[in-house]
Amino acid sequence: MKNILIIDTKAGNLFSLQSAIERLGFNVTILDCPSDAANEKTFDGIVIPGQGRFGTVLENISARGWPDYLERAFKSNIPMLGICVGMQIFFEGSEEDPDAKGLGWLKGQARALDFPKKPMVGWAKLDGDYWSDAVVYFVNSYAVKSSDMQIASTNYGEVFCAAIKIGSLTGVQFHPEKSGEKGAEIIRQALSNTLSSSGDRPVSGDRPVSGETKYE
Amino acid sequence: MSNERATGSLMPRVIVCLDVDNGRVVKGTNFKQLRDMGDPVELAMAYEEQGADELVFLDISASSDNRPTALKRVTDIAKHLSIPFTVGGGLKKLDDVKAFLDAGADKVALNTTAVLKPEIIDQTAKAYGSQCVVVAIDVNKEGDKLPFYIHGGRTLVDRDFNQWTQEVAERGAGEILLTAMHKDGTGSGFDTELTGRISQQVPVQVIASGGAKNEQHFLDAFNQGADACLAAGMFHSGEYSVNQVKKYLADNGLSVRS
Repeated sequence: MKNILIIDTKAGNLFSLQSAIERLGFNVTILDCPSDAANEKTFDGIVIPGQGRFGTVLENISARGWPDYLERAFKSNIPMLGICVGMQIFFEGSEEDPDAKGLGWLKGQARALDFPKKPMVGWAKLDGDYWSDAVVYFVNSYAVKSSDMQIASTNYGEVFCAAIKIGSLTGVQFHPEKSGEKGAEIIRQALSNTLSSSGDRPVSGDRPVSGETKYE
Repeated sequence: MSNERATGSLMPRVIVCLDVDNGRVVKGTNFKQLRDMGDPVELAMAYEEQGADELVFLDISASSDNRPTALKRVTDIAKHLSIPFTVGGGLKKLDDVKAFLDAGADKVALNTTAVLKPEIIDQTAKAYGSQCVVVAIDVNKEGDKLPFYIHGGRTLVDRDFNQWTQEVAERGAGEILLTAMHKDGTGSGFDTELTGRISQQVPVQVIASGGAKNEQHFLDAFNQGADACLAAGMFHSGEYSVNQVKKYLADNGLSVRS
C-alpha cells in the first residue's frame, strides 16, 4: 500500500483531501512538522493541500521547517502534488501577500486575475493535451497566469495556468479532491512514481530553468 | 445588458438541495407533512453519481439532533462525497460555522444569522475564505416590491433587498443563494429575470432557487445569467435525474459537466 504524506499547513480542514486519497486505497499520514522518523523518503508521495492564504501557508510551513524537506523530496523525485495555494507556493510569490516569498522552484507569481466574478467558483474544462477536456472544480481568486511548466490551462475572463508538471512534481490550481472521479484519477496519477509522462513537457528532476512565459 | 454567458470555461452548475431533519432527508409536502426520502449519505452519493455538481444540505445543523450527531453526519458525507457540499440552517455564531467547516463541509449557507449579525460574513470569510460563505436570501415579490425574509420566511427584514445583495458581497460572501419565495413550490420555473439581474449587479456567483419543475426552467435561468440553479423536489420525486437535465442543457448549447 502506498504511503502518502499530507503536509498540515495549519490553514484549513484536511478531511476531504485525506478521504479522497484514502478512497484510492492509499494510506495517509498527516504531519504538521517534519520528523526524523519520517524523512521524505519514507513516503511514496507528498501532498500540499489547497487551503488558506499564500502568506499564511508559507509562514506556517517555514516556521516548521518544511521548505528544505520539500526541496529534498523534489530533487529526489518523490511524487509530489500541490493543490491550489499548495501549487502557488512552488512559484516566486503572490499578489495575495506580496511580502511572502514563495519556494521559487518555478518562475512567476500568482496574481489577482481579471475574473468576471470573485472568487471563481465552479467546474471548468481543462485545455491542453495532458488531461484533455477534463472538467474539474476550481475555487480561487488568485492564480498563476502561465508557466513554462504548464500542462493545462483554463479560461475564466482570462486564460490562466491550471496545472504544471516537472518530473514527479505536479501542481494543480483546481481541487482534485472535489472533482469527482476525474479528480481522483488526477490525484492517483500525480502520486504514481512513474516518471514517464504523456504530456508534452520534458521530464526532468532538475531545478527548472527560468524562462519566458508562454502566454501574454 | 447582454444575456450571453461571459464565463469562459466555467460551467453552469446544477445543485441538488437536501432538507435534513433528524438525520433523514425529508421532502415537505403542503408545508407540514414531511416525507422521509432516505439516508443523507446514500442520497448524496446517488446524486453525485447522477452528475450533480454540488449538494446543499439544509437544516442538517439545525435539526433536533444533538450537535455531535449532526457534525458526525457532516463528516460522514465528506468522507464519501467527492463533489463540494454546503450545509446551512441554524448556524447562529462563528463557532457553529467553524464546527461545521471543521467537520468537513466545504461551505456554509447563512441566512437569518447573516441578517442579524452581518459581521459573521466578514469573520467567516476572513477565517476560511470567501469560497466558504454562501449567503442565502429569501426574497418575495409583492407587487412591485421585493421584501426579503428570515426565520424560514416568517420574519420580514426591514432593509432594502438590492442593498443587502451588495452588502453581503462586500462583506465577503463568495456566493448568493437567491430563493424566490413567490416561485417556491409553484413549479412555474425560477424567477429568471430577478436572478439574472442580481447576477449582473453583484460581483459574486448567484444561485437560482425556487420554482423549478423541469429541465426547461434550468435552461431559462442559465440563459438569463444564473451561475447555478438549485432544485430539490423534481429530483427527489424521481421525475428527473440530474443527468437528464444536464443532457437537455447540453443539447441546447450549454457547456455542462457530464
